[in-house]
Amino acid sequence: MSETMSNELVYALATTRDMTTWFAARGSGLYRSQDDGESWDDLYESLDLAEPLPTTSVVLSPDYDGKEHARLFAGVPGGVLRSVDGGESWFASNLDSPPPAVSALAISPNFVDDGVVLAATTEDGIFRSANHGGHWARWNFGLLDLTVFCMAISPGFSEDETLYAGVESGIFRSTNGGRAWREVDLPVGYEPVLSIGLSPGFPQDGIVFAGTESQGLLVSADYGVGWAQLGQGAVEGAVNAILVSPDFPGRPDLLVLADDVLWLSRDGGLQWTRVEDAPQGISTILAPKGLAVQSPLLVGLLSGDVVLLKLNA
Amino acid sequence: MTKRSSRQKWQRPGVVFQPEVHLKMLEGIDQIVGAVRPTLGPFPRVVLYDRTMGDAGRVPEFLDDGGTIARRVIQIRGRDADVGAMLARNLLWSVREEVGDGTATAAVLFRSVYAEGLRYLTAGGNAMRLRHYLELGMREILTELDGMAGKVAGERQLRALATALSNHAELGRLLGEVFDVIGEYGRLEIRKGRTRAYEREYVEGMYWRGGLVSRIFITDIERQRAELQNAAILMTDLDIEDPRDLVPALSACVQAGLENVAVIARKISDAVIGMLMLNREKGKVKLNVVAMKTPGNTSTDQRAALTDMAVLVGGRALLRDAGDRLRDVRATDLGRARRVWADTLNMGIVAGQGDPRQLRQHIARLRHAYGTVTDKGDRAQLQERIGKLMGGSATLYVGGITETELDYAKEQTQRVADAMRGAMREGVLPGGGAALLACRPKLARRMAEAEEPEERAACRILMGALEAPVRALLENAGYEPGEALSEVEAAGPGYGFDVVRGEITEMASAGLQDVTTVVKTAVRHAIGGAAMALTTDVIIHRASPPDAVTT
Repeated sequence: MSETMSNELVYALATTRDMTTWFAARGSGLYRSQDDGESWDDLYESLDLAEPLPTTSVVLSPDYDGKEHARLFAGVPGGVLRSVDGGESWFASNLDSPPPAVSALAISPNFVDDGVVLAATTEDGIFRSANHGGHWARWNFGLLDLTVFCMAISPGFSEDETLYAGVESGIFRSTNGGRAWREVDLPVGYEPVLSIGLSPGFPQDGIVFAGTESQGLLVSADYGVGWAQLGQGAVEGAVNAILVSPDFPGRPDLLVLADDVLWLSRDGGLQWTRVEDAPQGISTILAPKGLAVQSPLLVGLLSGDVVLLKLNA
Repeated sequence: MTKRSSRQKWQRPGVVFQPEVHLKMLEGIDQIVGAVRPTLGPFPRVVLYDRTMGDAGRVPEFLDDGGTIARRVIQIRGRDADVGAMLARNLLWSVREEVGDGTATAAVLFRSVYAEGLRYLTAGGNAMRLRHYLELGMREILTELDGMAGKVAGERQLRALATALSNHAELGRLLGEVFDVIGEYGRLEIRKGRTRAYEREYVEGMYWRGGLVSRIFITDIERQRAELQNAAILMTDLDIEDPRDLVPALSACVQAGLENVAVIARKISDAVIGMLMLNREKGKVKLNVVAMKTPGNTSTDQRAALTDMAVLVGGRALLRDAGDRLRDVRATDLGRARRVWADTLNMGIVAGQGDPRQLRQHIARLRHAYGTVTDKGDRAQLQERIGKLMGGSATLYVGGITETELDYAKEQTQRVADAMRGAMREGVLPGGGAALLACRPKLARRMAEAEEPEERAACRILMGALEAPVRALLENAGYEPGEALSEVEAAGPGYGFDVVRGEITEMASAGLQDVTTVVKTAVRHAIGGAAMALTTDVIIHRASPPDAVTT
């Protein structure tokens, strides 16, 4: 089930909980499909752009239903685009000059009430909005490395206000909703960190997964104080994405995208199996309904395609 | 006539022996401690300092900080007693200087140990042996306090601590938030506000004193500043007198395709400024150069600022002491930042593009140095340098209407801020004197095992002294100390009397905490000072009183 949109890679994917609407952030813009990827609408059509607008990330408000609640954000060069009507129209929020390149967006699970959304950039650190994306400010206190590749937000964010940022030289953690950052003690030589995944029970179990560029996958069971390597001999190369089962650790499933190969573990990372029926050239993945057998897996490709797979046993 | 004879008496040299020495010193100590004691606890009484001296225009000063109160006493009647008073004054001011708080606790501890020690000596005890055991006991107390210390982290805990330290809910809320953001070394500037309200603001990036070398570089007329984006930065403490000296650096920028250059130098001549402006307006190669002064007043400060800057933005600072010359500059010597700004007073850097690993190592070195240096000025400077490198700073505007009110609020805020930094480094203890009370069982065990009378006496004296702060706190709040103390003792370690609510409570969980460094410093100075004072046998008076007394 796919339709080639153009020859530009898919940077990020997002869907509604019921998977009736998909979003694909691509080198040429932001696209939406409401027919399981059969057709895609260009969401920037209303902007009447002279040139394609590369979009590196997309996040939906947790209450997104596409009708009454249809807030979404797209990370683009120089700023963040905000829509309150599912992408029909947009407000541009320019981040501070000089225009930064947005590498990732993260939204609070309690966004409806706290209005917190964050934008990571490749040269300027992290910008934060606490009024549903209306106003953005740079919050880099303690963030000693401003080249940020990824962010992961605690499932208990409304209580613990914790989030992690993977940077060129390691990992930083904030415990006040992204207003200040402190370095996490990652072993030397394991940076840069390209992806971070948190256990759904993170506030209690403190389990953090970190995907590195050249040293595979790391896990910490104490909020990032100590680290151990996972998947040695299997998960190698640049770990670009980590998906953790929503029932983890009760159901200890993990799915990792290393280089462009998918690796699946059903035992918390002790043993790994390569997902053989996955297509070539994967750039991003999304598992909106978890990692159980036969769960749907959205796969974005370097070619620009989006493919729907079913996870096997 | 009376005045004259009193003056003559002060100027007479003399040697005073026991028992006058101890008794008169206690008299002086009592006066200082009596002035400071009412300020202990959340219901402090204020001390009015009469500084009018016949001048109706000068209003009296309201004081509730033990250190300042002690410092305002520059002389008391009777020069033997004055020696005791000045000893206590100096001790309390040292505590205030070191940690910003804890002077009232130190005062009552000091007085208790000295007075009880004196009683023991009067009964025939050996002063030197007593001192030895008092110092041993002090070390035991310090170890016990270390064991009780808990970390303070997160906005909620910091807010509770700041509120407890300041007895000011709004100030506590803001300081809790500010320190959660800037961290223990973060840069916090405290300024007088323009309204009654307390406010705070955050400044992104780092900034230094040392603005534009000339207003001619201002490009943003409204904000009176110049700003460069994606700038190369030349950093030096050299003087740039000859326009030709800059040519290699500017050529390197042109070759590297850089359009914006910040030149930071100790001094830049008018000829160089003229050349830069001419180039900006009429040059074939468009190079936007802004010239700024090297931050720092002394060459040492300048070197430190340039070293920090170079780590932050990459590149290399050209230093006079290293024999560097501007004509040898290469492109790799230039730093880079996403944004550089300067106004007539300050210059700042946002998102410097130095190596983050080197930045971490540099901060670690500065932190290590902070832990080893003892000079207060050096420590303050190191703290400021670390704070600058951490990515931003905060400004807190204190509220008030009158100048006196603003002065007081600013001083109080600074004091609480200093204590907060201490708490973030060394942790916190159960407040309201509960931590000191919890040290008593250890001393009681030691007393039971002691073989020498001086050791038993020292333990007994210290156990009594550890009660003194709680007693003072209860009395200041209007409670009868004996009854409350026995209830606290029955409740167990960590429990204390919450004088605001009037009930026994677990102090830490109720947010009633003291800063470990503050309590330890008070203990160290008070017991150490009293132990030393107890060994004093003779006072020698000089012929003339010290200058401070005559002014």
